[in-house]
Parts: sequence; structure tokens; C-alpha cells
Amino acid sequence: MNSQTTKVLSLLVGAILIATLPFWAGDQYQLHLAALIAVYWILIAGLNLVVGFTGQLSIGHVGLLSIGSYTFAILAGKMGVDPTLSVFVSGLLGGLCGLALGLPSLRLPGFYFAMATMAFSMIVNEIVLAQVDLTGGGIGLPGPMFPKPFDSPIGFYYLVTAIALFVTWLTWNIARRMWGRAFISIRDNPVAAQAVGVPVFKAKLLAFVFSGITAGVSGAVFASLQSYITPDTFVFELSMFFFVCIIIGGRGSIIGPFLGTVVLTALPELVSPLAKLGNFFYGLLLLVVVLVVPEGIGRMFEIISERLRPRIVHREPITPDLNRLAKALKGHE
Amino acid sequence: MSVMPAELQAINISKQFGGLSALDQVSLTLRPGEVHGLIGPNGSGKTTLLNLLSGYYQPTSGSIKLGDEDLSLASVQRRAAVGVARTFQKPRLLPMLSVLENATLGAWSHSESGFVASAVSLPSVAREDKKFLDQTTELLHGVGLGHVIHRRANLLDHAEQRFLEIARGLAMRPSFILLDEPAGGLTTQEIEHLSQVIHTLRSSGIGVLLVEHHTDFVFRISDRVTTLNVGKMIKHGASDEVRTDPEVIRVYLGA
Repeated sequence: MNSQTTKVLSLLVGAILIATLPFWAGDQYQLHLAALIAVYWILIAGLNLVVGFTGQLSIGHVGLLSIGSYTFAILAGKMGVDPTLSVFVSGLLGGLCGLALGLPSLRLPGFYFAMATMAFSMIVNEIVLAQVDLTGGGIGLPGPMFPKPFDSPIGFYYLVTAIALFVTWLTWNIARRMWGRAFISIRDNPVAAQAVGVPVFKAKLLAFVFSGITAGVSGAVFASLQSYITPDTFVFELSMFFFVCIIIGGRGSIIGPFLGTVVLTALPELVSPLAKLGNFFYGLLLLVVVLVVPEGIGRMFEIISERLRPRIVHREPITPDLNRLAKALKGHE
Repeated sequence: MSVMPAELQAINISKQFGGLSALDQVSLTLRPGEVHGLIGPNGSGKTTLLNLLSGYYQPTSGSIKLGDEDLSLASVQRRAAVGVARTFQKPRLLPMLSVLENATLGAWSHSESGFVASAVSLPSVAREDKKFLDQTTELLHGVGLGHVIHRRANLLDHAEQRFLEIARGLAMRPSFILLDEPAGGLTTQEIEHLSQVIHTLRSSGIGVLLVEHHTDFVFRISDRVTTLNVGKMIKHGASDEVRTDPEVIRVYLGA
């Protein structure tokens, strides 16, 4: 079985599992967890382009999530706007805030950029606390439900799964072609990125605005899933959680961070001894991954099989085919 | 309108770092379809000049022109877009991507696929990417990397990395390519292959600037040579003329 077939088969199995999950999930709580994974993944998939591909260490996305959530709760809840429309507005506002945050901060070197995003999320939380009339302050706001057929747990699961799949498709399209190569060049070698003409700042900004939109959309459905939001819902740990999902999953991959999200969300909930460990579990897992498989759990099997059965790299001399080269150069004209 | 292809020129260019003068009133003309060697001892300003031509530095005085366009203050990206490619002394590759992906990144400036169009995978985006991958595949076979086309770049040996840098530069479809010590660390046979590749670039009309330590190699394949010493130009002209110049022999070759 070649790797192409393996890929198609695993995708097929994955798709069937996701589509049939409500029928084999043990109870309502597990369905809730599955929906939560999908909601988180909407944000993380977008953030993955920023952190995993472009290599910009944003640890402030909880701020953008919060903006999406409150926008949705205020529009769809307090003001009675159509929930679907409210989701779009949440995404739009998330994107605009991403732009407003990215414009001044994306020129900063890595460490300072991370600090700027962290400061942003703190500021958002303080504003939410202060604007009592709008956000309910410390008391919070109810997160409204979606209309039929998405008002049941199963309906909601399919809604967020559909959004998550759509976002995954978008990021996959970006990642596998020219923009993906450009993002990775910014991450791994900015000098080379410039040399081939990649507009480094613009590319970073596009990735960041995109992640703002997905964070906004994620926030909207998150508010609905949580059914009640307060500033305490959007703790800084959540931001670190998003970031850690990507690092544990592995940079430059989509499936890796997805597995990271699933493992980090579900494991502590499903395996009760782990739940007691709380943040200790995250810390331990992060330590193990960074030390043992820094490439991330997405590539773990690949790496283990490579170690067990080291591939012999055949060295062949470089023998230019000058006619072919001349033709290739001419073909360019 | 002139039908002659444009030249890449450095005109009376100087570069100072703080109080240190790295280049002093140097001029150099790079013509299409010509190999131009740039030699000089360590610290003579070769790489500084290359960085000025490719836009990583801005000149303290003097100017850089491509035809009539003044590029003195143009960004690195702008120069890539108008057809000035370069390679690096220490290969700068993307370790986790395949040889093919690395080289295809070079086609960036020719991509017309916007971010949104790419995200929704418009047919034009897919077509364009396929075209780029096909073109770079040909280039890679051409420079002799056909056998490692799907290998991750971090598994390449040194010579393969050097040739991949050239292939990435060529994927930019440049009018000029600036090679920063391309023969560094190569075996005699690999240097021979490199000079064959450079000859092919030359006959395809690309102007090649060759910054090198291997003087034999430079004099053998260059049409013209410029010699620098401590930031000043000591001699420039036809390869044979420079090779036999007493001053050049004294500061560089004679030792």
C-alpha cells in the first residue's frame, strides 16, 4: 500500500467517524466535547497558518475569540439579530481586530510580537469588564442558540463540524500551494523569502487577518456552545492552550495540530485521572513532545518508522542535462 | 526605444558601515548573456557589492540601475520582481520542504494567485501551480537534481544544496543571477558541472555575476572580471587582461 492510498483511506475513515459521531458517542457530554473540539479547531486551523506555517508566535488569540463571542452574544442575544448574520459579523470584526493588532505588531521580532499579542488579549478582557452596559461586565451574557435545525446538540455538532471542515479546506488550499511555500519561507528563512520576492510583512498580515476571522467565527459558535460567557471564560490559559495544540501537533502540518487539539481537549476529560492533573498534564505532554518528538505528534509515526527502518539515502552525482536546462530556460520566455 | 536588453549597473557606488568604508567608488556593469567574475581577497567588499546589487544594503552614495530604472533604494522584493536573482554563500533553503517545493518558491513573483483565490482553490490557481511545478521540474532535471526532486532539503548534501539554490534562482526567470561563491566546497567534478551550467545560462541570455575565491575557475569561465581590494576596484576588463595585470598579481594572485 503506497502512501497515497494510505492517505486517502485514513481521510475516508476520518470522514466516516466524524459524520457518524453522534450515533456512536456514548452520551451527551461526549457529543458536547466533540462540538467543543470542532469549535476550538475553527480557531486553531486559522491560527495554524500564523504559528505553524508563518512562524509568528501569537499567544493572544483568546482576545480575538472573546471579541467574536461578545459580538455574537450582543447581536444575536441582546439585539435579536439573525444568528447566522451575527456569525458573519463576528468573523468580520475578528478580522478587523486582527488587522488592527497585526499592523503595528507584525514588524516586531518574535519575542516582542508574542508580548504584543498577549497585551492585546489582556486589554480586551479589561474592556469587556469595564463596558458593563454592553457586555454585562463581570456578570456576563447568555450565548444564544441557533435556530432549527441547529438548536439540538446533534444539529449544533453538524453545524460547527461543517464550519470546521470548510475552514480546514481553506487552510489546506493555502498551505499546499504558493502561499504555503511563502509562509514557510518566512518561518524558516526570511532572507530567502525576500530574495525570491515574498512580501514578508504583507504575507504575515494576510495570515494574521485570516486567523482573526476564524477566531471571530469560532468565538461566535463558542458563545452558543457555552450558553453563557463571562470574562472568566476567556482566560489567558486558553490562549496558551491554542498555541500548545499547534506546537504539540507539529509545525507546518494541518493534521498534526488537529490531532493536538483532539488529544488536548478530549484526553483530560475522558480519562478521569488525567483531569485531576489539569495543567500538569498539558505541561508534561508539552515537555515530552518538545524533547522527544519536536516535529510534533502529527509526524510521530513517520519518525518512529524511520528510526526503526532507517532509509538509506542513495548518493548520486549531480549530472546536469544541459539541453534540458537550455530548453527549460527558453520555455520561460 | 532601444532593442538592446537592459544592463544591470552599479555606478560609482560607495558603502560605509559606521566609519568603516566597505566599498569606495566602485562601478560595475553586468550585461545580459555575459559571465562577469568578481574576485578579491577576503574583506575586499565582494559580498557587500552583491548585497548592494540585490538590495540587502542601500548604497551610501552612487546608484544602481537596471536599464533606465533606478534601483538604488528599491527593496529586495522589487529587484526580484524585475529579474535580479541571487544565491547565498551559505545555502538558504527551507529544510522541511522538498527540493521541488524549494525551487518552485522561486516562481513567487510570477504568481498571480491572490490569497482569497488560493484559499477557495479557483481553477486558475490550481492550473498556475501545476505550471510552476512542471517548469521547475524541468529546471531541476536540467541542473542535475532530477534524482532528488522529492527529497526533503535537509537531507541534501552540500553540492546538492548549492545547485538547488541556483535552480530556485532560475525559477525566478531572472535576467541576471548573482552567484555568491557557488563553487565553495564543491569537488573538481562538481565545479566542472557548475561551469557547464553557468555556460548554459550565459548562452540563454542571462547575465551572471560570479563572486568567487577560486580564481582559476573565475578566469576560465568569465568574459570579464572585476578585481577588488579593500573596497576599491583595482582592475576590470577582459578575463585575460585582468589575469596578467601586474597590480592584480601583486595583491591577489602573486601571494
